[in-house]
Amino acid sequence: MWRVLKAELMYFWPWMLGGLGIAAFVVVLLSVLVRFLEEGEGPPSFVIAMFPIIAGMVVSFIAQGVRAEERRARLLLAGPFTPRQLAGVTVLLPACFAVLGIVAVAPMIALATLITGKFEASALPIVAGFAGQFWAYAQLGPLAQESSAAHRQQRSTTAIAGWAVFAGAILVLAVSGFFMQSVSGYLGIATAIVAAMGVAAVLYQRRTDFTR
Amino acid sequence: MSDRRTEPATAARLRGLVKRFPGFQLGPLDLSLEPGTVLALVGPNGAGKTTTLNCMAGLVVPEEGGTEVYGAPVHPARTKYRRDVGYVGEESGFFQRWTAGRNLDFLARLLPGWSHERARRLIERFALPLDKPVSKLSRGNRTKLALVAALAYGPRLLLLDEPTAGLDPVVRAEVLDVLWEVTEDGEHAVLYSTHVLSDINRLADELAFLRDGLIVLRTGCDELSERWRRVSFRLQDDAVELSDVVEHRRVRAEHQVITRNAEATLQQLSELGAEAIEVSRMSVDEIAVQILKEGHHVARTES
Repeated sequence: MWRVLKAELMYFWPWMLGGLGIAAFVVVLLSVLVRFLEEGEGPPSFVIAMFPIIAGMVVSFIAQGVRAEERRARLLLAGPFTPRQLAGVTVLLPACFAVLGIVAVAPMIALATLITGKFEASALPIVAGFAGQFWAYAQLGPLAQESSAAHRQQRSTTAIAGWAVFAGAILVLAVSGFFMQSVSGYLGIATAIVAAMGVAAVLYQRRTDFTR
Repeated sequence: MSDRRTEPATAARLRGLVKRFPGFQLGPLDLSLEPGTVLALVGPNGAGKTTTLNCMAGLVVPEEGGTEVYGAPVHPARTKYRRDVGYVGEESGFFQRWTAGRNLDFLARLLPGWSHERARRLIERFALPLDKPVSKLSRGNRTKLALVAALAYGPRLLLLDEPTAGLDPVVRAEVLDVLWEVTEDGEHAVLYSTHVLSDINRLADELAFLRDGLIVLRTGCDELSERWRRVSFRLQDDAVELSDVVEHRRVRAEHQVITRNAEATLQQLSELGAEAIEVSRMSVDEIAVQILKEGHHVARTES
């Protein structure tokens, strides 16, 4: 499984670098503009943090779409892999890109601090909340994909269960938004991430058609 | 290798395989394929050829029945059978933005039994450009890449889904040459679906006609070409009725028929006093077209 995950990460690495490059460009532009317009002020740190986090989420969606379009399961099922291992790759790939985006927050904030000379440590809990929310959205992609696949493959009960978890996760994330800086808010986000990953992995393993 | 020798002699076996889709059911299918046999799966669009191959490759799980490859049950969750199965379909799942060479390197690390030497020979034979991204390869080169990937680890059963569809005549000939050489050793079993009926003459030992999800006829190519004939003759009788004839054309007293039992038809014509009888052989693809055109009726009578 790790060999496949590594290969997929290498394959989508140019997208990730591109996304982070665009994020860095926007951060620099925004920092310079705000500094000149606001005379010494800088953009809020949580705004700076959003760009790499969103880049990670977008790349995870791209990866999911491209893998489906290229019908990767066909290739990998010629090798010694089980659906369980491929399910692992399917749910871990978005997690990797989401985490890479989150990790890139630090250099982005450092870059903005270099330009504006301002750093808001108080924004970090909000950044953590946003990071968790976007990670969760990235994990909802495979869940939606597997629920649709179950529907296409005439597994109605499984599809309904998948969509129910999807809706539940959205609800939890919405409510968690109101408790962004509290432990219960973080717990809600973590629950949504784990549920989305777990159920997507189970649905993948129960597929009856690996041609798409 | 020793455990491979003790495995069952049947290369692939389908037992009561059923796969349902909205408005279509494949099967129940029962089919066995011996090593050294090249079986062409022939049928109109939507007959179930691709689904049959996907079930045999373990990409689709049937609702009922199952498939075995050299005695090992086929299921996506099992891996034992995969070493013996090489699959070439329209979509092979390659990393489209990677070059052909990088895709093959990836597979070489992944697939047990991969022979670099075998892969190199095939690449040279096909003159496959390794430095181009797969998305930039022509359809013919993508088929060649899929064939290299499917043959390089030495599977004993090849499943080919329309391997020559959409290829120009030169590439098609190259692909058929390689497939013919692979099957020449008598150890490989090949099941391939095709619309290009002229390929049948070159490769197939046997034909299985699939229609509406069922195998309506399985027969040897030699057997077919022994019995089917095109016969032309002159006979004044307008209401002549000949048995075993699947097509009858008439211009005044000149008749031309296609018969699935040449011996019986000639006997009848001699009894009726037909003149200027000329008999010509039919190629297997011509016979296959007739069977597909006539559908169930001819297939049932034939079987």
